[in-house]
Amino acid sequence: MPIRPLTFRRYLLAITGWAAVWLVVSAAAVVLGAENIWAWPSWESARTVLGLRLYAVLTASAVGAALALAGLAFQALLRNPLADPFILGVSGGASLGVVLSSLFLSVLAAPLFGFVGALLTVGVVYAVAQRRGRLEPYTLLLSGVIINAFYGAAIMLVTALIDPESRGDVAYWMMGCISTFGARWWLVGVVGGLVVAAAVLFAFLAKGFNLVAVGEDTAGALGVPVDRLRLVTFVAASLVTGASVALAGPIGFVGLICPHLLRMVLGPDHRRLVPATVFLGASLLVVADLATRLLMGLGGQAPPVGVLTAMAGGPFFIYLLRTRWRRKTEIR
Amino acid sequence: MNRATRYLGLVLALAMAAGGCDESASPERDVGEDEPLRILSLAPNVTEILFAMGQGKRMVGRSTYCKFPPQAARLPAVGDTINMNLEKIVALKPNLALVVTKRDDVVRTLEGLGVHTVALECDTMAELYQTIDTIGRETGAMGPAMNLRDMIRDGLSAVRRRVAGRPRPKVLFAFPMTVGSAKMMVAGRGTFVDELLDVAGAENAYPEAGDWPTITPQQAVAMAPEIVIVNAVGDQAAPDRIEAIRRAWADLKGVPAVVKGRVIVLQDAYLTIPGPGVGLAAERLANVIHGLPGEPGR
Repeated sequence: MPIRPLTFRRYLLAITGWAAVWLVVSAAAVVLGAENIWAWPSWESARTVLGLRLYAVLTASAVGAALALAGLAFQALLRNPLADPFILGVSGGASLGVVLSSLFLSVLAAPLFGFVGALLTVGVVYAVAQRRGRLEPYTLLLSGVIINAFYGAAIMLVTALIDPESRGDVAYWMMGCISTFGARWWLVGVVGGLVVAAAVLFAFLAKGFNLVAVGEDTAGALGVPVDRLRLVTFVAASLVTGASVALAGPIGFVGLICPHLLRMVLGPDHRRLVPATVFLGASLLVVADLATRLLMGLGGQAPPVGVLTAMAGGPFFIYLLRTRWRRKTEIR
Repeated sequence: MNRATRYLGLVLALAMAAGGCDESASPERDVGEDEPLRILSLAPNVTEILFAMGQGKRMVGRSTYCKFPPQAARLPAVGDTINMNLEKIVALKPNLALVVTKRDDVVRTLEGLGVHTVALECDTMAELYQTIDTIGRETGAMGPAMNLRDMIRDGLSAVRRRVAGRPRPKVLFAFPMTVGSAKMMVAGRGTFVDELLDVAGAENAYPEAGDWPTITPQQAVAMAPEIVIVNAVGDQAAPDRIEAIRRAWADLKGVPAVVKGRVIVLQDAYLTIPGPGVGLAAERLANVIHGLPGEPGR
């Protein structure tokens, strides 16, 4: 498929198209669910359920878009196709922050501590994996593995020390779930707002992403302030990751799958990828959440959505490892 | 097995007795509306209490763990307090939800669905009596609630009388050790099982207050219980698991109960359910602790 030049009109058209996909998926996820409410005699009850579903759809959209955007940004700036907030340990850092703040401070502080955890982790990953100003892809992934293991241990320590009644809650939350339980509309608003802000920011930085992808030296030579771009992007990606983890726990692989699917269709231009990633990330998680609700309706029990995304994402990661990564490292 | 049958019989008898005074009790509930009560019970002991009070037929839903009495197991399950199918709950249209939890978001969520929700606590005997009263008030069945309370009180004092004057051995009430770490949960002071041990003529070997503390085998040795009661239920009740539990305890040679061969492995779920069965639980504990007739020592 030949890629035609990107005009403003085509840009708007593309955004509208991706938004339409998300809207259709969301509408389906409100109409369908664990119970067939359309056969109910009482409209009152049906309206209650519609409210629950709307909350789930908005939560899944905000979280999915946040993780996909963060994944896209990490992949661009770390120049590593396997980067993703979950794999790099950024979600893990956010989780530790959220768990600590929810248990010992207040739930209100959770997004803030999630952000701090995420940002600290990005800093550590970057410092560890960097060698003479260059990021080694192997080292980057390995440091992610180690950091994830460390956070896993820290959260297990916290779980072992708290009272047994809360253990189940923490363990369940760590699987990553879109819960309509104890609705927190304000937090959905916060995550949604941050996602929109980050999407606009990344849309303006997209050209810089493209040049960095070619090479940091080249980008610098062409006038891109690489250091500042990196700082701003990492802070923004950490913000949305931290807030989304506070809302739904660590949901993995959305940030990995989504940008890659889009690159296969749209090519490597980040000006096209940024808006598409927002809506596809949102749609993917809405679909995954709908799947869990349908399963619940069928069997009475359903896995948390994080389990579904990890089960789908694991094989996808291996596929990328066998194909894309080899090509990428050969170029270097 | 005949334990469960006997317990079931007791619950059914109570339910029938309660059914008799049901008509007179109903108007006590001042809900203001005439719609019939539709109860959602989210805790096994609450479900048992409801059935013992003759309110089981008003239940429309249950938690995944509410499997007793068998009539309850036939009701639709909506999950547990961590993972609930809220759409299902709306579909069942309950107007009273009874839940045992300290988490206020559970109550808030259910209230948000338009279901009047009552959070109960059942860690001690006093809380159990209070729970029965609350359920009686909420369901407009104060009469059956009082009967149930009296039945439990009578059962407990009957057990007290039987063991009066006997020596009070130090008893450790434990769940099976976890595979790998060998740690185990034991009944702390203040739990209703602790109170049942007292009724059954024993002293709790665990010296401190606390819900269900987790202890190491070393701590168990240090407490020097004269009798150890291990309650192996669910997955733990498999024959090979029970054999493993016995072997694990046999290794703790420093424990007087092990030396005297008084590590007793029971398989009675009702021992740790704060519901209508506590009288029976106390009787069972008294029988195994004092080797009374009617029940073999192990």
